[in-house]
Amino acid sequence: MSDTNLMLPESWAWVIFFLPLISAVVITLFTRNQPQLSGWISIAAVSGSFLLSWLFFGLLQQTDVVQVPAITWLSVDGLSVELGLLFDRMSLLMLLVVTGVGTLIHIFSAGYMKDDPSYSRYFASLSLFVFSMLGIVLANNLFMMFIFWELVGVSSYLLIGFWFGKASAADACKKAFLTNRVGDFGFLLGIIILWTLAGSVQLDHLEQRLVASPAMLGTAAGLVGLLIFMGAMGKSAQFPLHVWLPDAMEGPTPVSALIHAATMVAAGVYMLCRVFFIYQVTPGWPACLAFLGNISALDIIAWIGGFTALIAALMAIQQNDIKRILAYSTLSQLGYMVMSVGLAGTTAAMYHLTTHAFFKAMLFLGAGSVIYAAHHEQDIWKMGGLKEKLPTTFKTFVIGTLALCGLPPLSGFFSKDEILATAFNQNKFLFVLAVLVATMTTFYMFRLVIVAFFGRARSDSAEHAHESPRIMTVPLIVLAVPTILAGFFGLDAFLNPAAHVSANIFDHLFAPFNHSPFAAVFGLGAVLLGGTLAVSLYWQAQRDPLPEKMQCLAQIMRDRFYLDEIYTALIAVTQGALSFLADAADRYLISGFVVRGVQGTTDIMGRALRLVQTGNLQNYAFVLAISVAIILLFVFRN
Amino acid sequence: MNASLLILEYAVVGLALAILLLDLWVPASCKAKLGHLAAFTLTGILLASFAMHPETAHYAFKQSYVLDGLSLFFKRFFILAAILVLLISVEFADRMPTGISEYYALILFALTGMMLAASASDFAMVFVSLELITVTFYILTSFQRNRTRSLESGVKYLILGALSSAFMVYGIALIFGAAGTMKFTAILASSAALATKPLFLLGLLLTFSGLAFKVAAFPFQIWAPDVYQGAPVPSTAFLAVGSKAAGFVLLLRVLMGTVPNITAQWAPLLMLVAGVTILYGNLCAIPQRNLKRLLGYSSIGNAGYLLLGLAASNQAGAGAILYYLSGYLFSVLAAFAVISVVSRQTDDEDISIVSGLHKRSPLLAAALALGFISLAGIPPLAGFFGKFLLLKSIIPNVGQPGVALLLGTALFGIAVSFYYYLGVVRAIYWGKNNSDLPPIAVPVPVRLVLYVCIAGMLYLGCFPNSPLGTATRAVLALKP
Repeated sequence: MSDTNLMLPESWAWVIFFLPLISAVVITLFTRNQPQLSGWISIAAVSGSFLLSWLFFGLLQQTDVVQVPAITWLSVDGLSVELGLLFDRMSLLMLLVVTGVGTLIHIFSAGYMKDDPSYSRYFASLSLFVFSMLGIVLANNLFMMFIFWELVGVSSYLLIGFWFGKASAADACKKAFLTNRVGDFGFLLGIIILWTLAGSVQLDHLEQRLVASPAMLGTAAGLVGLLIFMGAMGKSAQFPLHVWLPDAMEGPTPVSALIHAATMVAAGVYMLCRVFFIYQVTPGWPACLAFLGNISALDIIAWIGGFTALIAALMAIQQNDIKRILAYSTLSQLGYMVMSVGLAGTTAAMYHLTTHAFFKAMLFLGAGSVIYAAHHEQDIWKMGGLKEKLPTTFKTFVIGTLALCGLPPLSGFFSKDEILATAFNQNKFLFVLAVLVATMTTFYMFRLVIVAFFGRARSDSAEHAHESPRIMTVPLIVLAVPTILAGFFGLDAFLNPAAHVSANIFDHLFAPFNHSPFAAVFGLGAVLLGGTLAVSLYWQAQRDPLPEKMQCLAQIMRDRFYLDEIYTALIAVTQGALSFLADAADRYLISGFVVRGVQGTTDIMGRALRLVQTGNLQNYAFVLAISVAIILLFVFRN
Repeated sequence: MNASLLILEYAVVGLALAILLLDLWVPASCKAKLGHLAAFTLTGILLASFAMHPETAHYAFKQSYVLDGLSLFFKRFFILAAILVLLISVEFADRMPTGISEYYALILFALTGMMLAASASDFAMVFVSLELITVTFYILTSFQRNRTRSLESGVKYLILGALSSAFMVYGIALIFGAAGTMKFTAILASSAALATKPLFLLGLLLTFSGLAFKVAAFPFQIWAPDVYQGAPVPSTAFLAVGSKAAGFVLLLRVLMGTVPNITAQWAPLLMLVAGVTILYGNLCAIPQRNLKRLLGYSSIGNAGYLLLGLAASNQAGAGAILYYLSGYLFSVLAAFAVISVVSRQTDDEDISIVSGLHKRSPLLAAALALGFISLAGIPPLAGFFGKFLLLKSIIPNVGQPGVALLLGTALFGIAVSFYYYLGVVRAIYWGKNNSDLPPIAVPVPVRLVLYVCIAGMLYLGCFPNSPLGTATRAVLALKP
């Protein structure tokens, strides 16, 4: 970036990108012992990035894409590794969401973490996380994206395991990291194959090449698509790699809001939308996967997304921990988004991602506020009657819940409707599934709200709850604004200006009923049905009536279909077998043959060398003279 | 005659004399602080050197002294090393019996020798500058007169060094006899004819042996472990960085700048020497328990890696040598600075003194660990990139017999080196015995040294592009 000048917005792009990193470094090196200052540095960095991002909002009104000149990190002849930033509508939207929601969560954290002894470390990790996330959002090539993909893995590990003294938190962060590694491995393989076949990792070059010759990937097309999807499967917690997300609730609640609502889990969906062009090439499977025939990679993605949405919703119905309910709900909504990508509805997926980021962050922060007020009680059956005690939290929580359920005119309705409409047009079966999930969503969210906020207090901690301080309620109120309004302006139109020409707010408001009335009506019906069921079952209930009514079914749902247990058993068996093999190899092959062999040889050599290295000067001089003679002999041997 | 080119050398000699003179007036209690003055002035000289931009080669003293990109690169390298070593010696001063000002002055004289070596363009100059370096090092290594180990190392270095100088001066005489000149430019002009004269080749080989002694390459490495172990820490540090780099700049000048055609013929010899040096240094380092002796063997192993760049006999190899040496400077000086501080209480240099170090001083622990991790060649530190570039430079020659084997040997050596380098890192963070000892206070100048070294290692490891450009430009001077 030799010829950049500070007046150009391109150079501000680097400022946006590096501010959080600077904050992380400064806090770690200098202000570790001044918690207040550290908090403010971190908040200033992320909000600075957020404000600067608006610069590009104006810029993108004129052009579609702003390419920021790349920094060549390394070029040794033949190998060049670059860091470049890419601004288009999609990355800008994501940038605004990440930094905007991020700013509010930072502010909320300043209140929530107030008494924590490791306050500075918390904010340093938070800044590092935001930096990593910005790297994914702005990367203009897959190589850079992968580096930051891994960095997100690392920084989420730090955040989830923030209270590493707690065994469950330490286990959870390890689980999250390892599960993500599985997905990342596939992602890396996919990138390498793509690079070999298409000759570039730069997104725009790749897109040009693949559009120009769609058969370029040949029979590897499907495989590449699935491998890249594995990356998304890890980060966006899709079945079967979803198990880390609920456990990751061990982290501080604002962390859950940040990484499980607005950023990390959204990274997978965002990445899929970013590289969607690789799913539009001529399909093909390698010989070993030929049995898949006409099923494309996208079909598999859609089904995995739908399936995840369904099982996660089922699991959510029987959870009692307020954060876990939200965690499963996140899983379920991510399933929606992935399904939408699989049905070629990337705009719908990004739309839902955005609105979901707002209301889910708000719900998590609201849960944080409840937990804070109720003295770290997380079981909803020990709450109750919080409506009067936490009025602000209650109101915002209800708004978030209604948005999540998809009640018009809240934002969630519009984005969910767009996904339902996509499903309705593409795949009727998945449409039915999606409506079913929408019903369950309303059911478990209403259950949560009714049990936690209405009725009478069912424990001392709920009895003595107080509203959280301003610094925590203000972010909630601010988040309520986009939760309510985001649907009015048609974010889909911003993402995809070519497809939508309608302009005024009323057009946007009624668009769902106009372009796909069937989907809209079914969506609304799902909300009404789910809501009615929840109210009839849980209003004034003292304990959960479902286990009695559904017997073992409820228990299976509560125990998450025993998937974690199955994994644990599977891992135990494979690990046992592998460790047996490794142990045998170590014991007999490496230790017995290689090491003993080498050790024997080295030992003999050492003894021989020790004869040389006597410490005796005469011997040294003799060896030196002999050496010269040997060298002369070597050169003049013929 | 163009004596003004030697302005940097004049400045350093002047500084050395000034320190000696000041010693007469400064009260005994403040003498140690003269090292700060020397380091500070040297920093000024280092900064002033950036005002010089020799686009082409300038000669002085009838073409026996050259100022070009390569010599300037190495002059800065040596000055930086001397600054850091001076700061370490101030910390070490109270462990010297007497005459600390002389010690500083000797470091500066050795530095002058190194700077002259960087500019040598004549075999006479090669010999004179090397003697200036070695003779001062005889004293520097035996400076702790009250310790027999130090005296022993000085005597060993003296006798073996004299022997190798004898070989070299004989070689230079033969070269002069065969070529009728000692000037590099003249020899380069007639190198095609000289390549067939056995007498010239014999002379060149003997000179090579002398230089190989300086860089501690097999089979002339035998002195290194004993001398490294016995000498006072700052002397060892300067020996490891300065003396080795001086050897390499002369090897580059002679083998690549003066007789490139013969060097190409000798590729098998260089490869053999490189391979065996790598194996010897790394294998012998495994059982070592003394940190300085360990670094002595490690320095032999590193000479082997550096010789890879010479064996590649291309510009990339030469550039890689410069890059690697820069990384080596920061890594090794960080290690020695820490050893100097930690060995203060125990008067011992066994690995056990650093066990549990991270509880006693996080900074020392981090610096030592980073230094060893960089030496082991683990990203994102300087050592990784240096090794990467050296290996990469020799890959184009992989068609030649033996190159593949040499690459394998180098990788094997790296793998072996993980064992003993990381063994020290493990002792620092997971060693149990010493953690109840009191915390160590790190004096500010040493702290500065450590910060510079850490920053250097990280910069060279994370942002290789711009320093690599500098190294590549510097070695353009070697292009005939």
